[in-house]
Amino acid sequence: MKKFFALALTMAVAVSALTGCGGSGEETTGGDTAASGSISVVSREDGSGTRGAFIELFGIEAENEAGEKVDYTTQTAEITNSTAVMMTTVAGNKNAIGYISLGSLDDSVKALKIDGADATVENIKSGTYKVSRPFNIATKADLSDVASDFITFILSDEGQAVVEENGYISEGSAGTYTASGMSGKIVIAGSSSVTPVMEKLKEAYIALNPDVTIEVQQNDSTTGMTSVAEGGCDIGMASREVKDSELEKGLQPTTIALDGIAVIVNQENSISDMTSETVKSIFTGEITDWSEIA
Amino acid sequence: MKIVFLLAACFSILAVALICIFLFANGVPAIWKIGVLDFLLGQKWMPANQLFGIFPMIVGSVYVTAGAIIVGVPMGILCAVFLARFCPERLYKIVKPAVSLLAGIPSIVYGFFGLVVIVPIMQDLTGGNGKGVLTASILLGIMILPTVIGVSESAIRAVPNSYYEGALALGATHERSVFFTLLPAAKQGILAGVILGVGRAIGETMAVIMIAGNQPVVPDSIFGGVRTLTANIVMEMGYAADLHREALLGTGVVLFVFILIINLSFSALKRRRS
Repeated sequence: MKKFFALALTMAVAVSALTGCGGSGEETTGGDTAASGSISVVSREDGSGTRGAFIELFGIEAENEAGEKVDYTTQTAEITNSTAVMMTTVAGNKNAIGYISLGSLDDSVKALKIDGADATVENIKSGTYKVSRPFNIATKADLSDVASDFITFILSDEGQAVVEENGYISEGSAGTYTASGMSGKIVIAGSSSVTPVMEKLKEAYIALNPDVTIEVQQNDSTTGMTSVAEGGCDIGMASREVKDSELEKGLQPTTIALDGIAVIVNQENSISDMTSETVKSIFTGEITDWSEIA
Repeated sequence: MKIVFLLAACFSILAVALICIFLFANGVPAIWKIGVLDFLLGQKWMPANQLFGIFPMIVGSVYVTAGAIIVGVPMGILCAVFLARFCPERLYKIVKPAVSLLAGIPSIVYGFFGLVVIVPIMQDLTGGNGKGVLTASILLGIMILPTVIGVSESAIRAVPNSYYEGALALGATHERSVFFTLLPAAKQGILAGVILGVGRAIGETMAVIMIAGNQPVVPDSIFGGVRTLTANIVMEMGYAADLHREALLGTGVVLFVFILIINLSFSALKRRRS
């Protein structure tokens, strides 16, 4: 029986030694700034609208010899499947680098300047900050009158003002909107990235047309496109370009706003400016240590 | 009244049958289209380039599950022994509900706990990003505890008390009687608990996805990032279209086969016991 107690005691000692190490490790590493140390690249999952736009804009996606587009994101990149996990990961790891939608940016992480330009709405509009992607809606040809009136509203001065107020970028408007006094029901479904701004547009529209009910269902880009094609909803939302296979089903895409993508690092990171070439080298795995960045 | 019971029974059978049909009808053609060997043994998962190899994910699921067993099973069995034979009654009233509560915590909460507690500790210990096989194993080890403890405890309690008394009468101490007569007699029940735990670990998704790193490569060390079959499906399903979507359903078929094997071995074990 003694054997068991000896074993239990050994395990207890081992466990306390490990936790002891954990505690002291925190104290010693806390003061460092991340000017050195291997880079933890954090990316989004394949097929994510944010990832698709990111790799395209930074040239991480390139054509191979056969002319196919290949995503060269390093295979050792950590993959997260949501903006929230991405931000928690980067906020908790001083060697991490990742990217998120500009609209979701907060103080828990630091957004890098790209080629000297801050990630702000103004810089995206003036063209100095080049990392942005479209928010699309898609409809079928047999659109109801009330749904097409809502789209007219989205693209009007008033609708685009709502877009701007929420931190996204307007693509220019199509004149002023006058309330049509219509009634009916519109069902909208799709991307969780587009949903917040769509909710705001819905509120503004209903204030003008109280007889209309609008239902916004949040799921994802592909589900949104599929349900429009199958008649499950009137308008679909996508945070990416509409795919060819979806266009073949008779979908008509419209861009309603632009969203910037911010490259984020830990608050303790001393680097605040990066060229787009450096970002590309990090995400393709050519640069693996912070000390390689001057 | 009988017919109501029959309908209730039929409903669950129907649900299983429909899921099977849906999964195989959608997943199997994709596996054929990609090629069975390319799909199961392919090392590269690059959906944008029509490369659908899930070998890294199969290995990932196996590694993480094995790790969870190493972490969770010894702890679980010892805890079950304690609960069944060593625990004072007043303490039992606290420990038992606590263990049951562990089973009731939603997995996303486990995941968040792992992300904000275990991952930073691992970062300090290993210097990497703290997400990987070991982190996932520890968290899954905790998650399978209630399953292992619950089934093992009832298995130990099911052993006739005469075994224990017989050992005592032969001069064995309390500990020796428990570990050398009760535990071997409850062996099959405990093994059943372990198998159920394996089922839970391999099917776990939301917690693992937050702490495993999710790189689609075969991990090179226990600190390396890993992507499981379940994580692969959940992460990309939202955006996938066409063959990519079918390949994810194919991943589901592979996972389903895994679970089927586990359940079959569980019922084989049960049959042998009776």
